Amino acid sequence: MPEPSLISTYLAALSAQLPAPVVEELAGGLDETRQRYLDQGLDPDAAASAALAEFGDPDVIIAAFTRLSPARRTARRLLAAGPVVGGCWGLVLAGGRAWTWPVPVAGSVLFGAALLSVIGLLAAAAFGRKYRSVRRAGAAGCLGMSTVDAAMLFAVTLTMPTLIWPVILAAGASAARLTFIARTLRPVLTG
Amino acid sequence: MRAEELKGHLDGLLLAALEDGPRHGYAVIEALRQSTGGRLDLPTGTIYPALRRLEQAGLITGSWSVVGGRRRRDYRLTPAGARALSGRRADWRDFAAMVSAALEGGSCPSPA
Repeated sequence: MPEPSLISTYLAALSAQLPAPVVEELAGGLDETRQRYLDQGLDPDAAASAALAEFGDPDVIIAAFTRLSPARRTARRLLAAGPVVGGCWGLVLAGGRAWTWPVPVAGSVLFGAALLSVIGLLAAAAFGRKYRSVRRAGAAGCLGMSTVDAAMLFAVTLTMPTLIWPVILAAGASAARLTFIARTLRPVLTG
Repeated sequence: MRAEELKGHLDGLLLAALEDGPRHGYAVIEALRQSTGGRLDLPTGTIYPALRRLEQAGLITGSWSVVGGRRRRDYRLTPAGARALSGRRADWRDFAAMVSAALEGGSCPSPA
């Protein structure tokens, strides 16, 4: 039996946001619900309408899955850990009197802008309501945060001839964050 | 029973629906419908994210199977899920006894 257009439109709304396996599971449930109404004697269009009414607003379902998305959980953990890692690097910069370093102003501004952009992306992933945009922002935020951490570790390796404890602490925090991102990036990209 | 009245109890109901063995999403919904005498009034589409949440919490596991040429995701209780269900049952009995006693003017039995 062909799928009524009401059902197709509903599934298209879900497919526009949710991963294919999730939509496949929802489509199966919706089809079984529609079949139950057909078995009760409703005509195909009425059965489709009744099944959709029973299933509920697709935006509500999308929002519920978005709250569970790996990108959202990862972004929230990175935002929660951010002040700790940032504080460690702050100690390094303050201890090394970073304001006296011969760093071009443009470089500092660029780094600050990049860091703010990464935080903005993670915030968008942590609080967004649309599954796909949360996934995109989360993936970009993870990659951006990895770049920031890698840049800091690279800079430390180049400029710090002796390792003092704040540097070890900050480098360890960044390495731990890089490891966390490496472990969670795949579900963020595919989930 | 309306969705807002179910808030806080849905996880326990879903775990109970899986107690007798693995079920896929629609079968879980049907089990809930039967066990509540059809009085459960919530958008059934929201059952699926709730199942996914329980899976992420390690209380159930999901696996794909093929039935009648169609893939479906079956869920089963984990040992942690079975323990959580026992805990929720005990909590509910205490809560129901307390509210019943207060509403009906009896005395609430002491918790075990």
